[in-house]
Amino acid sequence: MAKKVLMKGNEAIGEAAIHAGCQCFFGYPITPQTEIAAYMARRMPQVGRVFLQAESEVAAINMVYGAAGAGVRVMTSSSSPGISLKSEGISYIAGAELPCVIVNIVRGGPGLGGIQPAQSDYFQATKGGGHGDYRMVVYAPSSVQELVDLVQEAFDVADQYRNPVMIMGDGMLGQMMEPVEFKERQTTRNLPEKTWAANGLRGRKIHNVINSLYLKPEELEAHNKKLQQKYAEIEKNEVKYELYNLENEVDIVIVSYGTLARICKNAIKMLEKEGIKVGLIRPITLWPYPKKAFDEVMDKVKLGFISIEMNEGQMVEDVKLSVNGRKPVFFYGRSGGMVPTPAEIVNKIKEIVGGAK
Amino acid sequence: MPNLKELSKKKVRLTGGHRMCAGCGAPMVVNWILKALDDDVRAVISNATGCLEVSTCLYPYTSWKDSWIHTAFENAAATISGAEAAFKAMKRKGHIDGKYKFIAFGGDGGTYDIGLQSLSGAMERGHDMLYVCYDNGAYMNTGIQRSSATPYGADTTTSPAGKVKPGKEQFRKDLTEIMVAHHLPYVAQTVPVIPGTPYMFDLYNKAEKAFSIEGPKFMNVLTPCPRGWRIDTATELEVVKLAVETCFWPLYEVENGVYKINYIPKEKKPITEWLKAQGRFKHLLKPENEHIVQKIQEEVDRRWERLLYLAGVK
Repeated sequence: MAKKVLMKGNEAIGEAAIHAGCQCFFGYPITPQTEIAAYMARRMPQVGRVFLQAESEVAAINMVYGAAGAGVRVMTSSSSPGISLKSEGISYIAGAELPCVIVNIVRGGPGLGGIQPAQSDYFQATKGGGHGDYRMVVYAPSSVQELVDLVQEAFDVADQYRNPVMIMGDGMLGQMMEPVEFKERQTTRNLPEKTWAANGLRGRKIHNVINSLYLKPEELEAHNKKLQQKYAEIEKNEVKYELYNLENEVDIVIVSYGTLARICKNAIKMLEKEGIKVGLIRPITLWPYPKKAFDEVMDKVKLGFISIEMNEGQMVEDVKLSVNGRKPVFFYGRSGGMVPTPAEIVNKIKEIVGGAK
Repeated sequence: MPNLKELSKKKVRLTGGHRMCAGCGAPMVVNWILKALDDDVRAVISNATGCLEVSTCLYPYTSWKDSWIHTAFENAAATISGAEAAFKAMKRKGHIDGKYKFIAFGGDGGTYDIGLQSLSGAMERGHDMLYVCYDNGAYMNTGIQRSSATPYGADTTTSPAGKVKPGKEQFRKDLTEIMVAHHLPYVAQTVPVIPGTPYMFDLYNKAEKAFSIEGPKFMNVLTPCPRGWRIDTATELEVVKLAVETCFWPLYEVENGVYKINYIPKEKKPITEWLKAQGRFKHLLKPENEHIVQKIQEEVDRRWERLLYLAGVK
């Protein structure tokens, strides 16, 4: 067993990527994720790999396009406004079906916003962000260890489906230090060889072409249909979530992800002492969304579900689609970098439970 | 130019209370440039993301006495282009009167790197504006990352100096020359006001000249950052002086394509003088890195000789 080390979330992302075989990292400074680039600047040359600082986020994501096209494992990272700039490139990467990992250490928006923890890029990450009918797997870790594990998983999933994968955290996760273990892991996935990569003919007669341009509508539609089939496959196979305190019947179920889910767990413990039973669905993949978690717990829920977020309710739509009218859906959120306290969550839930009684 | 007594009576347009670090060069540069405006002139200022922007506008507070706007990192020049175009339209229709000057401030990250496209666009379109780059040689706001303005060999968090790498491995981009290639009416390179030097008011004089000329203007100001340069705040202007005296940062201007060097040191100091004054170059002074210092000296000489040639001095 590898030994545990105390590491800052952002630096752990870098180390996890190196463990996962990331050959190239393309970065650009933006708070609160700059430590990822600084870590990679120091570490990548030590292991004989590539670190490059681009002149902008637009350049960095297009460097990713180039390296991914050459068939190597590649990662970039940024924070909200920088991800907006990368969105064009992400759409191209999805269109050209190239595997890569993109890290978003989210800060409050819109516009320049702030630098404190937020979850206001939920729509951007899960509903497109860039143009066109594309999807990207989005992981939302809630601890530094899970962050490390999911970065490694993200590279595998990206390679398996030839698709961009996003790791979405916030400044809290990026800046906090926790003990982590870099496990020696063997993937159980059957990862295809990258025979599509544009990395030389290698004895083949036909050039590989990496492309997202289809001028004939029939061809573009066929391409889109093919992508949709892939996304359906991902939805079938890659959903991840955690159920907490849902072994028995509960009054209400919180739906929350990332660092905020940890705060919700504290609130659940506090409510337990007051005789209010609360469960938690913690989506680990934000896309594909864990709809089946709701089916699993539906019979155990007395009052309904409450989506608790660090934004103005971007996940509520997905919660409602998953609940599909079977129970009421409530919402509590803080935004702009305000992080709810467990007491705040306790009060909100008591308000709902009290009102329903 | 007015005398010191008159200057001291001019409006202060960037007031105190902002959160720039002690000893930061940027607000000094901004205030001296804005001092070159007549008191009855109103400034319209756009500011790229960076230390200057984030530390002077902690909403709902502001240190700016003039109209001031910030947009995304890469867009200071585009934003001021829009404001200037709107002003022209309003003036043409008789909706606005009075004297206005349009100014953009950006650091080297926001100007040399991510903002170069919008800067080039604004200059080519020919807006009546002055773009000022306060070049402190790295992304200081996010904690000292290399930019294309970072000097060769500097230790930054994304060009760390270690056993194998000597810090940044590229020479700095010559943005002033890129601006000259836009054939602007006025391009200048300068330093903050350094008392007791023959070029004490170089910054002020150049700003005054820039404001007197219609069309697109560009000024590049070497601006000390004690945090990023790893220097004592009390010595920062001495360090900047060394940049001039070693010809690392020549003071010159290009008016309608005609070069003029504003200061030629009687005896050019060796580049080691500039390097050894700063912690970010500390590792270069080790004996095993002598060849790197040599390389830097050669590049400084090459660029200086070229400038002398362009200015017809040689």
